[in-house]
Amino acid sequence: MSQRERDGQILAPNGSIASAKKRKGSPCQQDGDSSFLKQNGDGDSQAGETMIFSIPHLPEDIWHHIHSLMPLRDAARVACLSRAFLHSWRCYPNLTFNEYVFSPEAPIYGRDLSNAIDCIMRNHLGIGVKVLKLQSCYTSSRKLNRWLRVAIKPGIEELNLWLSRKESEFPCSLLSDGVRNSIQFLELGLCTFRPTAELGPLRCLTSLHLSQVRITGDELECLLSNSLALEKLDLSQCHGIICLRIPCALQRFSHLTIFMCARLKLIECKAPNLSSLEFLGKPAELSLGEALQMRNLSMYDSNVVCYARTELPSIVPNLETLDLCSGDEVVKTPMLPTKFPCLKHLTICLTPGGSFPWSYVYFSLVSFLDASPSLETLSLDVPTKPMKDELVSGRHSLDLRQMAEDQHRYLKNVKITGFSSAKSLIELTCYIVKNAVSLECLTLDTHYGSTTRCSDVGNEFKQCIPVGNSVRVKRRALAAIRKFIEEKVPAGVKLTVVEPCLQCHKPRS
Amino acid sequence: MASAGSGDEKAAAAAMITLISSDNEKFEVTEATATLSQTIRHMIEDGCTDGGVPLPNVTSKILARVIEYCKKHATAAAGEEGSSSSFSDAAFLEVDRAFLEELEEFDDAFLEVDRATLFDLILAANYLDIKGLLNLTCQKVADSVKGKTPEQIREMYNIVNDLTPEEEAEIRRETQWAFE
Repeated sequence: MSQRERDGQILAPNGSIASAKKRKGSPCQQDGDSSFLKQNGDGDSQAGETMIFSIPHLPEDIWHHIHSLMPLRDAARVACLSRAFLHSWRCYPNLTFNEYVFSPEAPIYGRDLSNAIDCIMRNHLGIGVKVLKLQSCYTSSRKLNRWLRVAIKPGIEELNLWLSRKESEFPCSLLSDGVRNSIQFLELGLCTFRPTAELGPLRCLTSLHLSQVRITGDELECLLSNSLALEKLDLSQCHGIICLRIPCALQRFSHLTIFMCARLKLIECKAPNLSSLEFLGKPAELSLGEALQMRNLSMYDSNVVCYARTELPSIVPNLETLDLCSGDEVVKTPMLPTKFPCLKHLTICLTPGGSFPWSYVYFSLVSFLDASPSLETLSLDVPTKPMKDELVSGRHSLDLRQMAEDQHRYLKNVKITGFSSAKSLIELTCYIVKNAVSLECLTLDTHYGSTTRCSDVGNEFKQCIPVGNSVRVKRRALAAIRKFIEEKVPAGVKLTVVEPCLQCHKPRS
Repeated sequence: MASAGSGDEKAAAAAMITLISSDNEKFEVTEATATLSQTIRHMIEDGCTDGGVPLPNVTSKILARVIEYCKKHATAAAGEEGSSSSFSDAAFLEVDRAFLEELEEFDDAFLEVDRATLFDLILAANYLDIKGLLNLTCQKVADSVKGKTPEQIREMYNIVNDLTPEEEAEIRRETQWAFE
């Protein structure tokens, strides 16, 4: 990528570039050259692979761009091609380090990993770094601070640091004016982060992810009020946050994810365009202002089904997708007059924590159906061993609970996995079959929702995992489907019953 | 060959731009297709596209390929805008996925060219400032060095080694892990 090569960029492909190939390299290299000259010196550009002399030259900045697109190992090998490539390597922009990046087949750890990274960082010019990702890397704070000083310069776009101890503090002083003007993604894990009000604006920051980070609600608020372009906030196990306040100045803010922040008591989001919320462990108080844009909500916690039915209609009136997962649920979901007028997709997963078999009145989920006149898809995952006295069998005849007729005009797809012959589940299914006048597909799967099937591509064990309910429970479920449901399914509805696979569910002799 | 008119009223109503290759061939394309190139977008904004846009660095053979790429990806961009408002709708997601797969197949087929053409495409994408095409073509070159020795790479791309043996030995020591 000398001047000569740069000039070559707009030349029509021709053989003259061959002269550039003459070099003081190894003798065998020169042999290679001359033989190529003899065979291909005519510069026919149609001959493909061997026609190396007919290709035009690329300017240095394009080669640098190509170099930056290579993964670390390839980029490191390319460094010894020439002086220009060596320089380009010293400015390699994508510094993503983890145990696998140096040798995917034989991962390196601890001191070896730290030394390998240090060798690159010592020689790096600290120019043009776009990404710095340090994961599973335990090193001394002296080395770490040196790496950070090299890489965190104006122009950096993505910073993803998993430090080794919560006590190690991320040096906010590195977030200079220039850095704050370029950084777009910031992810910190296992460290202390103490942003202050004096930090100044981070104009391009769109995504912030803090995991096991020591930070207080006030400090986070300082950072947020300086990050007006923020779109996404992801907090995981940040136990120092008690109140999370997201100011209304964050006009583009749309996604919030909270994962097990145990001490979080209050979430107050005034950002007007919040559209998606995901919680594992719901907060005591949720305040979303008008939340007119809130469309998607996922919650994973005990009693969350009851909570969602009771509280959410007033907090998030425009919800379209609701995903609930509960490990421990009150026996019944209450019938209420409140509605989810826009809800289209509802997923409810009931995964028992410790206390199963449990008793849950599945039929009470009718409360959700009646509250959701626009519902289109319902997915129910009930991987639960039902109580014995709750089971019905094909031998019994049964008075099924009925509800006042209530037509569900939009409900098209219903899938129930972990289907058993629990009485209230059959009642719920019959209710749906009767009232969902537009139903197209009803799937009743006797497996658990998360079961890996023996027939799945990539299942090395070649058996269903977990096998789940005993084959007797599943057979009873099939009998109940035949007796109570099949005949009620209208002709236009596609009923799919997924039976236990015979290979993994051999009946005990 | 590049005219999108063909009697279709809608296409005829859209603003057309004429691109002129280095060998003086004229290509008529819609503004939506042409503005995938930032260079041409700026020219349109400055109002200097009357009488055609001369592209003295791009041959007709390469320009035809570039336009083929832009047409396909301009349709893709329009499709994305249309469906973004209803992203939660499963049916739309399905359509989007099928479209993206088709686009990926197109890109793969598009890259089935000899090295000289690939480099000419890179130069054209760089000159015309078409980010997607530049990344696509550069990634192809970047991928091509996988598992190759420095000697093989130099030979593939006609790269002159101007490092002294000592310098080369030193950098090889430093990056020894990449050779194992």
